[in-house]
Amino acid sequence: MFKKMIADSMSKSPWIYHVNTGSCNGCDIELVAVLTPRYDAERFGFKLAGTPRHADIVVVSGPITSQSKERLLRTLEQVPEPRCIVTLGSCPQSGNVFKGSYSVEAPIEKFVHVDVAIAGCTPKPEAVIEGLYKAAMILKEKREAMKK
Amino acid sequence: MNILMGLFHILVFPGLLFVCIIGLLLAGVDRKVLARMQKRVGPPLIQPFYDFFKLMGKETIVPHAANKTAFLAAPVIGFASLVVTMLFIPVFGYSAFSGSGDLIVILYLLTIPAVALIVGGSASGSPYAGIGISREMVTMMSYEFPLIMVLLAVAKKAGGAKLLFSLTGIVAWQQSNGSGIIHVALIPAALALLLIIPAEVGTQPFDVAEAETEICEGPLIEYSGAPLAMFKLNTAMKMFVMTSLFTCLFFGGIDTGIVALNALILVVICIVLTILCMTLIHAVTARLKIEHLFKFYWTFVAGLALCSLILVWIGL
Repeated sequence: MFKKMIADSMSKSPWIYHVNTGSCNGCDIELVAVLTPRYDAERFGFKLAGTPRHADIVVVSGPITSQSKERLLRTLEQVPEPRCIVTLGSCPQSGNVFKGSYSVEAPIEKFVHVDVAIAGCTPKPEAVIEGLYKAAMILKEKREAMKK
Repeated sequence: MNILMGLFHILVFPGLLFVCIIGLLLAGVDRKVLARMQKRVGPPLIQPFYDFFKLMGKETIVPHAANKTAFLAAPVIGFASLVVTMLFIPVFGYSAFSGSGDLIVILYLLTIPAVALIVGGSASGSPYAGIGISREMVTMMSYEFPLIMVLLAVAKKAGGAKLLFSLTGIVAWQQSNGSGIIHVALIPAALALLLIIPAEVGTQPFDVAEAETEICEGPLIEYSGAPLAMFKLNTAMKMFVMTSLFTCLFFGGIDTGIVALNALILVVICIVLTILCMTLIHAVTARLKIEHLFKFYWTFVAGLALCSLILVWIGL
């Protein structure tokens, strides 16, 4: 019974941890907008966690500058399993307008596996909510796979 | 039979299961009503249950710098002391344990969850937790002093010439002389206790120790998985234990004679108190600085409690 409750709860209370890797702050504001009264992501149980240890979903925004790459990887290592990694905006996927810069390590797929990618510059709050909700569903699958 | 009854007390009715379920429910009511106050839809009422079970299913990481035994034992100690506290608090006429010094035992038991938080935080070896525990200690010092004065005022009022430190005795006195809240001398004490509850639980304006936006939840920063779930459960249980202590001290006169109905009334009063002293204050205020918190408790709240103590002592 407890196992079933744990599996069911996994998708219903995803806590978000947000890492900014040199983003222009546009995506960060949209992520905060998702939690405000107008869009209210808390109705799905989303909550902004203060530390990677409490997180289920790690939201990465920004084009991964060379300085922040190592910090990003260290942060991701500290998140307990099962976890999801979501990229916010076009920057982490392609580098966007920063592509080709000597100080940008753009595609995040080079270092870590990405579960959900939310595209757009910046993505609309509706798109952010949909992406986060998909990540929450993936969390449940990951939990089931972890048990086997 | 006595052993079975004792086990029932500890595991089901005023003990473990009852406190956990009602505590998490109160936390859910708090979050839902807070969301409605901010014109949001808010999470479902049973969201804290989801959070608890999810955290149970997560990996538990023990940091390299941590002292493993203290790190993992701290949440369990806090949990156990809260369950024991609830066993001492009578549900109107019905109490599991009773003795002549309940009130003093409870005073000690109530400090243990906060001490457990301090031990767990300091065992985790994180600098953020270091700041968190120093703030937690100051918070403890701030609310303990008025809390003791509130309990003294009630004990003096109920006992007359000599202090009455038995909670069952206090409830019995209220049933013959009317609930504590209708006595003029105890009203400032009731107000003071209402302001102590949010600090004891650690909700918004008084959550300086666990401020998630500035020191990343302080002592809880390194916790993950099951121990974190226990700490979240402890917070929820503290809500119920503190509000039922308030009910016991100031609304003890209500007694229908049926235990189930009494428990239901207790839950309803606890929900009202939670909304009044935690959700409402959370929705309208911002977090205090630690020195402001200390000043607030040692002047305003302690003043209210002292006022009540003097009124009781001159026999009003």
